[in-house]
Amino acid sequence: MTSRGSQSHGGQVRRKAHVCAGCADLTDSGPTTRYARRALLRAAIFDSPVFDGHEHEFWAHRPPRAAAVVTGVLAEVTPQAIVVSRSDGDQFIAVSPSTVTWLGAKVSPSALRAGDPVIVRRRTQRLVSGGPAPDGAPPGHGPAASIAERIWARIGRVAGEIMEVRGRELLVDTGQHGREPERVVIAEASLRHVQVRFPRLTPGYLIDVIGTRRSDGYLLAVTPATAQPPYLAAHPPAPPPAGAYSGGPISGAAVWHQPGDERADLLGVGYAALDPETEGGSAGPGDAAHQHEPCARLPYLSLGSAVRVRNECADRAAVLPVTSCSASARQFCDRCVKCGTSPRARVADLTMAAFVELGGNLEDGCFNATLTLAG
Amino acid sequence: MVFVGGAGVLAIAREVQIPLLAVLLIGGCAAKARRALGARSIDAGIGPTGMFPFSLQRPAAIVIFVSELALGVGLLVTAGRIGVGLPAVAVRAATFVLFCTAVAALAELRSRRPDVGCGCFGDVSSTPVGWRTMTRAALLGAAALASIGVPPLHMLGSVGRFGEALAVTVAELALLAVLSPEIGELMVRLGRAEPCELRRVPVAKTLDTLWASASWRRYHRYLITTTPTDVWREGCWRFAVFPGILASRRVEVVFAIYMSGRHAPIRAGVIDIDTPPATSPSSRYSSLTVYRKSAILKNKINIASNGPG
Repeated sequence: MTSRGSQSHGGQVRRKAHVCAGCADLTDSGPTTRYARRALLRAAIFDSPVFDGHEHEFWAHRPPRAAAVVTGVLAEVTPQAIVVSRSDGDQFIAVSPSTVTWLGAKVSPSALRAGDPVIVRRRTQRLVSGGPAPDGAPPGHGPAASIAERIWARIGRVAGEIMEVRGRELLVDTGQHGREPERVVIAEASLRHVQVRFPRLTPGYLIDVIGTRRSDGYLLAVTPATAQPPYLAAHPPAPPPAGAYSGGPISGAAVWHQPGDERADLLGVGYAALDPETEGGSAGPGDAAHQHEPCARLPYLSLGSAVRVRNECADRAAVLPVTSCSASARQFCDRCVKCGTSPRARVADLTMAAFVELGGNLEDGCFNATLTLAG
Repeated sequence: MVFVGGAGVLAIAREVQIPLLAVLLIGGCAAKARRALGARSIDAGIGPTGMFPFSLQRPAAIVIFVSELALGVGLLVTAGRIGVGLPAVAVRAATFVLFCTAVAALAELRSRRPDVGCGCFGDVSSTPVGWRTMTRAALLGAAALASIGVPPLHMLGSVGRFGEALAVTVAELALLAVLSPEIGELMVRLGRAEPCELRRVPVAKTLDTLWASASWRRYHRYLITTTPTDVWREGCWRFAVFPGILASRRVEVVFAIYMSGRHAPIRAGVIDIDTPPATSPSSRYSSLTVYRKSAILKNKINIASNGPG
């Protein structure tokens, strides 16, 4: 592996200008409250309730809730079930032989330990009941139970510019305001696999890896999330001409990010083209934020704007609020090849819960997606 | 060259309407199909279907598409001797009914969803519905009405008659172009200009537009301050919120400013801060529908008297 000298001065790692300069105020102002209020005010004029397409639930009144996703911390693990501790109580989820469990790799559910942060995609199924059916229900239809389809434990992801390299250890600037560079250690067994997709593990280039979060905060990378863009992070390709924007659906890749100050179960989208005039940015043409234009022509939106994201691979769609500025969607000009080859752009940077709710598998890193304004 | 009189021109004008209407209807269907294919969803289109409940949007989109396509093809098929008589009259009368329905639907859409376009020609019909779009639909309805009773079309017998037909067609197309916001949208897309969704627009410029508007003059006397408490953007629309007092109640007045064109539409709405959120989204939102009429405003926020005059 290439190892280059640190770019730090006096122990301080040099930080590049934030890719999302316009995101400076998002975490301070409470984005959840803010976007909900904006949706309400917007509806005062346009009377345009937005439905999620499944439950006809209007998300503006409260943050949208996942129907099939449970996030929390494992409280108990048995061969038959797991108990996920959440802020609103414990959730009992049955485990079946078909349940896929991921903890750095596909493992048996018995590898899970109490205290592991998990995200679970579940399905609800009526249990077969041997006794008399309650309330005149048809025989064989017992109470509903949650059965885990997939469980991801301690999963994490780091995407950004490599700042420093020491052997298998990297320091990565994710470009998000107020966040310290993330420490990534590439697992020894995965080094070759990661290097195939990220051949330039040198400062200045981009990296995007998935792995397991360790107790002291670093990410043990086990798999590449994408292929390395061939350009230096400071010199992304020029955005396409304005004529490339058709006003219709925008195709590209949908990726996911780990929650920073967001709630773990938040359903939302990180968006690459927040309005620089109103979202706290004063970036001009010379500023770094302006230099990092996303490589798809995206309409300017704000926090609280509604977008419809469609998973083309799973044929699932949902209307989601824009909840953050996505640095990775500005930095990475790459494709997703989950089902066919997507155009070169990250059109949506979903929260983990939204990614899983839309049928994505976190270890895949992306799915081919179409984004449409849903206002 | 043989020139025809006024009656002859009128007859030619009526004849021209049939292929013109057919081309517009089939062209509209093609544009809608292109959008649906791009979105991989039939109900992804904008327009009147947005007024339907979510579960009915897809069937409504299909019905509109099939109706337009059937009438477009029907107009062509019955233009000659094949459908002479009742079939031709039926198709043209149905086209007239379609455009009359469209006028009503557009008026309703403008009232209930002033932020969306008519969707008549897919993606390029994203400009909010205005008087131009409604006038165009009415004009096409009149054209359909005029086509009823036109004898079967035949090849024009002389250069003069061909010239007359061409002149009428060009004149009508020019009129339709004036009434079509899609033309401006197409020009932007074909040219180098940035669509308004992608254009950086300073907040100061948006506020200047707002302060010069009739909506501002109507509501500014109820505002506590002229400094907005929140400003945000969604595509071509920018929103600005101001705190206010209306009939001794604390309110928030929100303006939506369309950031394209010289006479950009501006909408205003009022939310009563002191009213606790309703439990049902539908009831909450049905009480905040339209704010441009003072009587409705007073009614919607439950102010019996001394509201805006």
